[in-house]
Amino acid sequence: MIKKFIHQFASPKTFLLQVDKFYGLIFFTSLCIYIFSIIWGLLFTPEDFVQGNSFRIMYLHVPASFLSQSLYIAMAVSSATYLIWRVKLAAYFVIAIAPIGAMTTFIALVSGSIWGIPTWGTWWQWDARITSTLILFIMYLGLISLHNSFSNYEKADKLLSWLVIVGAVNIPIIKKSVDWWTTLHQSASITLTNKPSIDPVMLYPLIGTIIGFFGLIICLILISSKNQIFIREKNKSWVKDYV
Amino acid sequence: MEILKVEFLKLRKKTRIWLGPILVFWLIMIAYPLTVELLQDKLQIGFFSVLWIAILISMMLATEDIFTEDYNDGSLEQTIIQESSFSTNIGLKVFIYWFLTGIPVSILSFIFSFGTTQNFGLSLSIFPLALISSYIFLNLFVLGNSLSLNKGSVLGAIVTMPIALPVLIVLGKSITALQFDINFEGFILLLLGSLSIIIVLVPIVVSYIIRAHLE
Repeated sequence: MIKKFIHQFASPKTFLLQVDKFYGLIFFTSLCIYIFSIIWGLLFTPEDFVQGNSFRIMYLHVPASFLSQSLYIAMAVSSATYLIWRVKLAAYFVIAIAPIGAMTTFIALVSGSIWGIPTWGTWWQWDARITSTLILFIMYLGLISLHNSFSNYEKADKLLSWLVIVGAVNIPIIKKSVDWWTTLHQSASITLTNKPSIDPVMLYPLIGTIIGFFGLIICLILISSKNQIFIREKNKSWVKDYV
Repeated sequence: MEILKVEFLKLRKKTRIWLGPILVFWLIMIAYPLTVELLQDKLQIGFFSVLWIAILISMMLATEDIFTEDYNDGSLEQTIIQESSFSTNIGLKVFIYWFLTGIPVSILSFIFSFGTTQNFGLSLSIFPLALISSYIFLNLFVLGNSLSLNKGSVLGAIVTMPIALPVLIVLGKSITALQFDINFEGFILLLLGSLSIIIVLVPIVVSYIIRAHLE
């Protein structure tokens, strides 16, 4: 049943048509949520008692950090889908997500560094969370370079998918690094099981920025996936008709 | 058993492949004291970091051409169509590589550790850590080399090094545990647990990757 469902909705042609239908809606909704939340967070939330105004960088840092790990999980799920059910679109997703994942991880690292100067007094610390995020960034770059080193797309997709699945072992390490090791980086303020330790005045715009950023990144992934479809299926007649 | 014997004989003849990494390890360990002031207590500060990195590099070099020759002369294709399990063959091949490079490097780790720290108990504990970590690194770099088959070992090292870094972190922590006598056995068990998963999964994944290369 899963196989039938996947094959029905995962043809590149169906995907392109669905993307065209919903892209505008996702993009403008996400953009509005993000702009509204970031203005709320930057201008209308009170100063933090300890950190002063520097805490406001979290409206960029937290969504980027959250997505840097989530995108890798999305890549791992897509890789498994490609290897198990041979869904081509899943392979396109993997390579479409990789550079965007690298970009969000880079944003998370840079914004974290900038935040580190006023709060920790240093822009970099060889702390478990920061180091494991740097490892994730290197992994993204490694994945991109592995895929680019093969001219045969099918082979590159398979090898990339295997590496993504193996590399997924790093995600729980990054996630739990703040609990397993004594780190300078604080533990998670928002979890699924506990009440958030962050004040609601700061929390609501933060959730808004996460949702908005997530939506915008999805739009980027959709564009990148469309690009992959055009590259890979350029000789198909339906692509020529579409273009 | 036959495969084990064949792989052993094949590797034993290729002296450069198994002796090279051991010598590189040796040279790094000799080079380390030359780069710091020759005071015993100062040497000890960074010794274990250098030791783990030296093991990592030597294992990376050991696997450099692990599949290249077999890939070029068609042996890999023949192994795939044989009745015996391809992943088992890969597992045995990795074991032989570890036997000829990992074990000597671990023995040398003990010797260098004793030479630097003058602490027999501490150095003795380094031996199992070196044995386990070298086998883990070897497996990870085998995975990397299977991915970058025919594309040079540098690419393989780049893509698998991030996976090896958490092991380095655990090794660093285990030394702290050893020095302060707090739950060192826990770290050994953690590494053994990781190794037992890696030892099973890596040959299976590598067999699929090589099949993808040969398709």
